[in-house]
Amino acid sequence: MRPLFIFPLLILAACERHEAVVAAPAPAAPLATPPAADPAATLASVVRISTTQQAWNEGQPWEKQPPGKRRSLGAIVAPGQVLTTAEMAADATYIELESPDGKQLAPAKVIAVDFEANLALLGLESESDAKFFEGTKPLEMAVPPKLGDTLDIVQVEENGTPLVTPGSLLSVDVVSNFLPGQFFLTYEVKASMQSAANSFSLPVLHDGKLAGLLTSYDSKDQISDVTASDIVARFIKEAADGEYAGFPSLGISISRTDDANFRAWLKLPEDDGGLYVSTVKAGGSAEKAGLKKGDVIVAIDGHPIDRLGYFEDSHYGRLYWSHLVRGAKSAGDTVKLDLLRDGQPTIVEAVLDRRDEQDQLVPAYTFGKAPSYLVKGGLVFQELTRPLLEGFGEEWSSRAPLNLLDVYENPQKYESRGRRIVFLAGVIATPATVGYEPLRNLIVTKVNGQDIKDMKSLIEAFAQPGADGMDQIEFDEEKFSVHLDEAASDAVDAQLKQRGLSRLSRAEN
Amino acid sequence: MLARSILTLTLLTAGPLPAQTAAPALPGSAAAAVSDVYRSVVRIEAAVQMPDYSTPWNSGRFTGGIGTGFVIGKNQFLTNAHVVSNSSRLLITVHGSPRKYPARVKFIAHDCDLALLEVEDFSDFEKFPVFSIGEVPSLESQVRVIGYPIGGERLSVTRGVVSRIDFSSYSHSRADSHLIVQIDAAINPGNSGGPVVQDGKVVGVAFQGLRQADNTGYIIPTPVVRRFLKDIEDGRYDHYVDLGVATFPLFNPAMRRALKLPDNGLGVLVTNVTPTGACDGILKPGDVLVSIDGFPIDSAGQILLAGEKVDLNEVVERKFAGDTVALRWLSAGTWNDRDVALKTLPPSRMYAIQYEKKPRYTVFAGLVFQPLDTNLFATIKLDDVNVRRLYSDFVPKGIFTEREDIVLLTRVESDPVNSQLSGFTGLAVDKINGTLVKSLKHAHELLNPATPPDFFVIELFGAARPVIIAGNAVAAANERVSKTYDIQKLSNLEE
Repeated sequence: MRPLFIFPLLILAACERHEAVVAAPAPAAPLATPPAADPAATLASVVRISTTQQAWNEGQPWEKQPPGKRRSLGAIVAPGQVLTTAEMAADATYIELESPDGKQLAPAKVIAVDFEANLALLGLESESDAKFFEGTKPLEMAVPPKLGDTLDIVQVEENGTPLVTPGSLLSVDVVSNFLPGQFFLTYEVKASMQSAANSFSLPVLHDGKLAGLLTSYDSKDQISDVTASDIVARFIKEAADGEYAGFPSLGISISRTDDANFRAWLKLPEDDGGLYVSTVKAGGSAEKAGLKKGDVIVAIDGHPIDRLGYFEDSHYGRLYWSHLVRGAKSAGDTVKLDLLRDGQPTIVEAVLDRRDEQDQLVPAYTFGKAPSYLVKGGLVFQELTRPLLEGFGEEWSSRAPLNLLDVYENPQKYESRGRRIVFLAGVIATPATVGYEPLRNLIVTKVNGQDIKDMKSLIEAFAQPGADGMDQIEFDEEKFSVHLDEAASDAVDAQLKQRGLSRLSRAEN
Repeated sequence: MLARSILTLTLLTAGPLPAQTAAPALPGSAAAAVSDVYRSVVRIEAAVQMPDYSTPWNSGRFTGGIGTGFVIGKNQFLTNAHVVSNSSRLLITVHGSPRKYPARVKFIAHDCDLALLEVEDFSDFEKFPVFSIGEVPSLESQVRVIGYPIGGERLSVTRGVVSRIDFSSYSHSRADSHLIVQIDAAINPGNSGGPVVQDGKVVGVAFQGLRQADNTGYIIPTPVVRRFLKDIEDGRYDHYVDLGVATFPLFNPAMRRALKLPDNGLGVLVTNVTPTGACDGILKPGDVLVSIDGFPIDSAGQILLAGEKVDLNEVVERKFAGDTVALRWLSAGTWNDRDVALKTLPPSRMYAIQYEKKPRYTVFAGLVFQPLDTNLFATIKLDDVNVRRLYSDFVPKGIFTEREDIVLLTRVESDPVNSQLSGFTGLAVDKINGTLVKSLKHAHELLNPATPPDFFVIELFGAARPVIIAGNAVAAANERVSKTYDIQKLSNLEE
């Protein structure tokens, strides 16, 4: 029998990437101040980067999407080390460095990448290309600039001419510039730029030293987001030893305390600040330190936190509290929290650690990681990830299936079940799945009586069918089980392989 | 849902006439015999007051529409429920007469989109022919649709062929499915409630069309009409009864083997039994239902009724509260036979649009609380995951046994006591001062105790923190809000 292939394409679009805003070429504005950096001298410290990126197809996880290309300008920060944005390294299949004059090319590898901070450090793939860096001059890190300082944005035109655009540092804030919910210290720089051969992923200098990395440019407002030198310097320092630990987190979510009724109920003093702790993530450093839901954080490392969550930074002025954890500290450092618990002052010391996205029940990003899946007799099982949910389109947070969104929004309800949530994503119509076509987006709890904790455990459970040669699949919230005939499913699997499914399963750790 | 209701509830606007609404010439032969019956097809003019679910203390919008009805007995005019829903005034006009007769709704059934009207004085209609109710027309047979659709003031007749007989959704309530007949005659706004005639008898009531397709009209067939007429014999309309069972087809050979079923193409798997429903405590998930009232149920959940394959629910459809159905099912290897008493499932109205109801609400210090229902869902944007889950699980998971209403914070009318709370709108209330909120009335009581507490602590599903209102600030805030936003009544707890 010829199986009828109707792919239930739950995933319509690929994971939407947050792209840097690319501006239309704008006429060069008259320069207010001449650039402080000598344009010609900067050429020795920058390198063009071309990357080929290819993400996995979340809807048909056995294959990849069509590849795309992207370019940027990297900063040489140490002998043989180039700094760029993590966007350049995301799902990269091939990265190539090119000297500004176009004379030299060399394949590159990723030394360290932090998708949350949107930073990547590249090096040469092969030592034999070492001559690529001959005559180059690594940039030193600049002293953190102050508001109003002029920063120089470096571009290189197609013909190899350097183009330096001075801009003024308008404000400093803690914002997310690549992945949602990942906030890092960022400079907002006002400068009128033109698009010059590269995308807007560019080095930014102050007095000829590296002051940050431009991650996006809004041509309408002529405002660029530049990852702050504090963050860049910390990343380079941590990455240099080859064992990149990443930026730490406390593992809490907070709520501001500007509502007078709320303050009165919390017994907070009239003229003070304070942040209300809404949730404490299980296993996070805050939980280990004994922080509780309902605590009010009044100071972090001696910095009073106001009711909107800001503190007074001696250098930049008012900054959001999260910088005291994510920007100012490394994993393993201790942070001192002054609390009000039921109105009583308490002090808690938390040892910060890094929360690895791969340890999350529903990872928020999966760059470079092939999706785990299993195709069994036509039933397609996947592990729940945020990119998968994003596949439900622009309005995924209201369009995606409710049971899956619930896991994403309330992971604490599901964490005891295992490492990942495995669900039946859809059904390929085959002789073994007759009548099962309507099944989709059902969370799998058990197969052949065994608890499903991740894709690996699902594959293992299927390897032990019942004595009658049947597999039994049980779902969350559904009070019936679905059965699969091992012999029929094996025959179907063989046919699916013939039909071009390169492999029928993958279980990444 | 593909079917869309014909919107009669819009005022007719003057404009170019769509070609298909021009009355076709009648075949000479039939004309003399049937034309007399046209007198009994009446035009219904409805003045409507639409309730306002977004600002529930307001009167709502005044609008109106045109539909059709027909005489089926002494002072009995049959029409669609959607023609007369939320009506504040009804007028009936007879073909060729300028006189308007005031009418009122005697019975209305929103779940099958039918209503029975009466006029104050029937004497002018006494001599009118009365339509008799026929059978379900057969496929490919010809029918006539009579009514007052857009495009002109006078009666219109269109002809069509019966193209499909199906079990499908009735869009008026958005939640009900019954037997439906599709015809290829044009049915246009204004046709709603008009008779569909074959051999001098009514074989259906025109009621909805399809926006995406031409020449598809839907009519309510006579089994549904008869059921409605029988239901109201006792003087009131009860709702359709429900088996309260969700099923899954049993095509799959492996599934049949695992359930130890013979390969005879019979039986469906019970996947959910609605708590408090007719089968609660009788059937359980995993059982295999094989026959209903002696009709064998095939593996797709269909039975053969009067020569037509129909959904097994069609048996239940024709019954009334208190009637029984004979079920036969296999449970853990044992065969069971039992007569199950059918009953209505009021909580399932959560999923149906409600009409003739005054929106319920309570306003507390500028915070507006409303019960979640489909009307509210259709009016305001509710995309919080917790709210959507409470809605979809309300009946299947039996949430209604714990909470009669899901109470939502829908609005915050700005006031000094609540100026920081606008971010909490659209969330569902879990507890007030530690007590689980069971209904809007319950919430209202908890928010208006004899002596106010120091603080009202309102816990919302999915909120980062509780909403706090100082107890001693409420009275003044209520007064301000009532005055500033012109809310004459701060609560309405009755529909």
